[in-house]
Amino acid sequence: MNPLPLSASNKPGLYLWGSALFSLILILLVAAPTFAPQSFSFLEPLKVDTDPENMLSENEPVRVFHNRMKQEFTLYDLVVVGVVNERDQNGVFNTDTLGDVYALTKFAETIRWTEGVGDHAMRRGVIAVDLIAPSTVDSIEQAGLGSVSFDWLMPEPPQTQEQALAVRDRAQRIPTLHDTLVSGDGKALAIYIPITSKDVSFRVANQLREKIATFDGDAVFHITGLPIAQDQFGVEMFKQMAISAPLAMALIFALMWFFFRRLNLIISPMIVAMVSVIGAMGLLVVTGNTVHIMSSMIPIFVMPIAVLDAVHILSDFYDRYPAIKDRRKTLEHVMKELWQPMLFTTLTTCTGFASLAFTPIPPVQVFGVFVAIGVFFAWFFTVTLVPAYIMVMPEKAFTGFGMGAGGEDSDHEATPLARFLHGVGDFAVGQAKLIVAGFLIALAIAAYGVTQIRINDNPVKWFHADHEIRVADRALNERFGGTYMAYLTLSAEDGDALADVADDAQKRLAALGTPQAQELANQAQALRGSAESVDAFLAALRGKGEAARDATEDDDEWYAWDDAVLAVDAASQAGEVFKQPDMLAYMEKLQAHLASTGLVGKSNAVTDIVKTVHRDLFLGEEEAYRIPDTPEAVAQTLITYQNSHRPQDLFKLVTPDFKKAVLWLQLKSGDNVDMSAVIKSVDDFIAQNPPPMTVSHDWFGLTYINVAWQQKMVSGMAKAFLGSFIMVLILMTVLFRSFAWGLLSMAPLTVTIGVIYGVIGLIGKDYDMPVAVLSSLSLGLAIDYAIHFNARARQLYQGIGDWVQTAKQAFGEPARAIFRNVIVIGVGFLPLLLAPLVPYQTVGVFISAILFLAGVATLLGLPALITIFKKVLFPERRAS
Amino acid sequence: MIFKKLIATAAIATLSISTAFAQDVQEIVNKASAAAYYQGEDGRAKVHMSIKDSQGRERTRDFVILRKDIDNVDNGEQRFYVFFERPADVNKTSFLVWKHAAADDDRWLYLPALDLVKRIAPSDERTSFVGSHFFYEDVSGRGPEEDNHVLEEETDDYYVIRSTPKDASGVEFASYKNWVHKATFIPVKTEYYDENGEAYRTYTALGVETIDDKPTVVKSSMADTRIGGATEMHYSEVAYDTGLPEDIFSERYLRNPPRRELR
Repeated sequence: MNPLPLSASNKPGLYLWGSALFSLILILLVAAPTFAPQSFSFLEPLKVDTDPENMLSENEPVRVFHNRMKQEFTLYDLVVVGVVNERDQNGVFNTDTLGDVYALTKFAETIRWTEGVGDHAMRRGVIAVDLIAPSTVDSIEQAGLGSVSFDWLMPEPPQTQEQALAVRDRAQRIPTLHDTLVSGDGKALAIYIPITSKDVSFRVANQLREKIATFDGDAVFHITGLPIAQDQFGVEMFKQMAISAPLAMALIFALMWFFFRRLNLIISPMIVAMVSVIGAMGLLVVTGNTVHIMSSMIPIFVMPIAVLDAVHILSDFYDRYPAIKDRRKTLEHVMKELWQPMLFTTLTTCTGFASLAFTPIPPVQVFGVFVAIGVFFAWFFTVTLVPAYIMVMPEKAFTGFGMGAGGEDSDHEATPLARFLHGVGDFAVGQAKLIVAGFLIALAIAAYGVTQIRINDNPVKWFHADHEIRVADRALNERFGGTYMAYLTLSAEDGDALADVADDAQKRLAALGTPQAQELANQAQALRGSAESVDAFLAALRGKGEAARDATEDDDEWYAWDDAVLAVDAASQAGEVFKQPDMLAYMEKLQAHLASTGLVGKSNAVTDIVKTVHRDLFLGEEEAYRIPDTPEAVAQTLITYQNSHRPQDLFKLVTPDFKKAVLWLQLKSGDNVDMSAVIKSVDDFIAQNPPPMTVSHDWFGLTYINVAWQQKMVSGMAKAFLGSFIMVLILMTVLFRSFAWGLLSMAPLTVTIGVIYGVIGLIGKDYDMPVAVLSSLSLGLAIDYAIHFNARARQLYQGIGDWVQTAKQAFGEPARAIFRNVIVIGVGFLPLLLAPLVPYQTVGVFISAILFLAGVATLLGLPALITIFKKVLFPERRAS
Repeated sequence: MIFKKLIATAAIATLSISTAFAQDVQEIVNKASAAAYYQGEDGRAKVHMSIKDSQGRERTRDFVILRKDIDNVDNGEQRFYVFFERPADVNKTSFLVWKHAAADDDRWLYLPALDLVKRIAPSDERTSFVGSHFFYEDVSGRGPEEDNHVLEEETDDYYVIRSTPKDASGVEFASYKNWVHKATFIPVKTEYYDENGEAYRTYTALGVETIDDKPTVVKSSMADTRIGGATEMHYSEVAYDTGLPEDIFSERYLRNPPRRELR
């Protein structure tokens, strides 16, 4: 026996108590800081992370840009309250519902608190001043007698039905509110509640729910928005860990009991699984990593893999014991046979998962590394605890062991399972060519399927279609412009060359045609050569003009100088790109283009504000709904807008220097394919319609971030997969000291992965986050059976020297171990189907499918291939 | 018996003191309003306004402000004319305000680039003044009769007055506190409080000079923690009683600015 299991079987108490202590210490290390953070602040508590943004690392350029832009345009994460009233013919526009909406808004404004003390005090909760609700936004409209009114859209709850409808009509006239605040059909409302940070959303939403519960109207209030979805996610994640994982454990236990009929014996794999899961998860938390959607799946992955090797040992032990009738001798025999395959399957599985560390997605890296650690623990505890456990059991406990399955004394070859597997073996050897042809056809079809794969994801769709998040999502997207936000920035290049500004100033001065202007133009000519910067040039020129102006007594001369200085200042403003009518007209065209894609429900930009104010300055006539002709007219429209209750809103669309603008896009779908299509469409538009001034464009917003991390994930996964494929091939070649055997070992997993991804393409299942992760997983798992089969077949062949006879033996105990494994583990993953989140279900279904397919490919494909290539695989050593 | 009498006397005393106080407070507020907004019969000043947002980004406005009190009555009718000079693209944009003591103000807006004179419908005046942290009402003055005032504290230099709105619907604050300088009646600091009693908006007089024997605020700031940042106003070329003609404060003059007076 290898030293490790030998030592364990000699000192079983040490290993059993040692592992118990190991588990206990890890549990304490996690529990102490989690439940008593004050006393154990030096330890890492359990941290949950449900933020999809964290799929990208903190300093990923896309994310850095996203955060910088959010800050620059003072944009916050939003809790959205959708208000729908199906009972009233006017929807929410009745006095009752609007009264509730008013009360809810007033209440929401007060949800804030201070955390920390002194210098560390932080204000948290709702940012009342940026709240978007009927009572917090301004309306610009005609007020009779040629006057224009700027006032709250709904200063107080309406008293009559007419007033209620007037709120709707006013809002619908304002493009920035229509389809955003008030639904397109004029029946529903959405309140946007900005919060200081995502992690306060739970508290805010709970307080909103309490308030809503006090309303007795007919309206339905949907609380949604990405932060809310994330909170829900955290809850569902723990449900998964609390329900699915233990269920998987129970199911595996039941299946093992079915196969081995020995309760006290099958407890040992359960202990191995428990200790391995505690080890992996404990280390994850203790090292300060977060429990993310990915890492929450670690237990459900480690558990079946942990059981896998133990099942091999038990299966072999179960088959051998009746013949040997001594637990230590049986153990020695079993461990000799299984040591190498177990070590190598562990190595390959670890390689498969560890390869995920090379993906650029931090949660996937953590997942890969800690599953690999869990797999290593599983191996270590399998080769120590299982022998230790067997040794502490009294010999008499094994009396009659191995007789359960068929009831016939020590003759496992007569059970239905054995007969079935022998039939499979005979078929595989007899119809080798047919089988290989079948697999090749399957691979060809799969190859076609792979070309049909659609790469797509949408974190909202990680919830079930009937989940309240999805219900709210549909309710709002049916009625509004769209709830998926993406932001398109346009930035002017810093191109204010001194020469350009000086030219512009001189041109403007020349246009004035006064002697004073001419004199200042001459000054400009003199200054432009010596000035150090644009600012210095303008300041010097302005200074000269003002000095001359202030020195004069005569009114006309004074004003002539004043006009000249004005011309200089006007030149200094030419760099304010997003006040220029042609630039705004370009944005307008871009917005029209976006609307024509059918993917963008609505876009908001500074153009909409300019046009709306312009229209209402001109009697509200539709033909005045346009960009005015001069930058001055634009500036004066905007200064009018800034006389409102919320002047700061302008700078959510353009920076105060007017060099950067952002278009808010409301998408009806958060699918990455749709966002990608919008990105491409914008790129094409800009390529075909160059902007009037040099501007660069870029994206931010969560809908965009999702696309960014998906792209990283797809390419990262491809690399990780190729890398681990090659690694495993090398490992196999080393293990079997033969490239041919190495290649042969890769055959079942190639078929498995090919067919799985082919099916994904053919049935139209999106290639999303869980599907991407599965490629590396399946590689690590599917190779296991090939290793066990090939290793055992070669061991047997050495003694027999004839392939047909070897195959018969191989389809005895080795095939049964593989078969039992497929059933136990394949079925073991199925409880994931009960998980409340779709990615867990996807993983459950596909892992089971992978295991079943790998089992079939191993038990049919390998013997068939060996039969065909036996001359290469078994060189005629004996004959020589 | 004696005990009861004592209580009664005390009660009467308290009552009379508080009434006396109430009168005093209103008087202080009236004087403060007059000191801040009604110095002389008319006035003019050049104003440089610097608006800094929460990220420290600055925008500037330069304008001339002309004012005339009708019949030289403190806290009475008033005319304002605000003429923008810079930024260049809003040059000649102007506001005209007819301030009424007991009614909504009349306001007009002139946008030269659109060649448009527009009357602004009456609404609450607690909206931003050209995108700054100041409200219209801060520029033209809040009527002393619009709030209930209580003298909360009297220090050596200041009356500290708490004011609560008589009609809370048109304002965003729950109350505000004014520090009125005893000698000059200039309000040097005003803090606005929300419904939780938290101060969110602060006016500070940063510089006071005596011009034509009149204490005059020449530098002031308004900070707002809700949106962040602050606006500073610097007054220069302040002059009083220059004999501004009343007729320049009319709609007609919006299109044809009174050049002499604005220079």
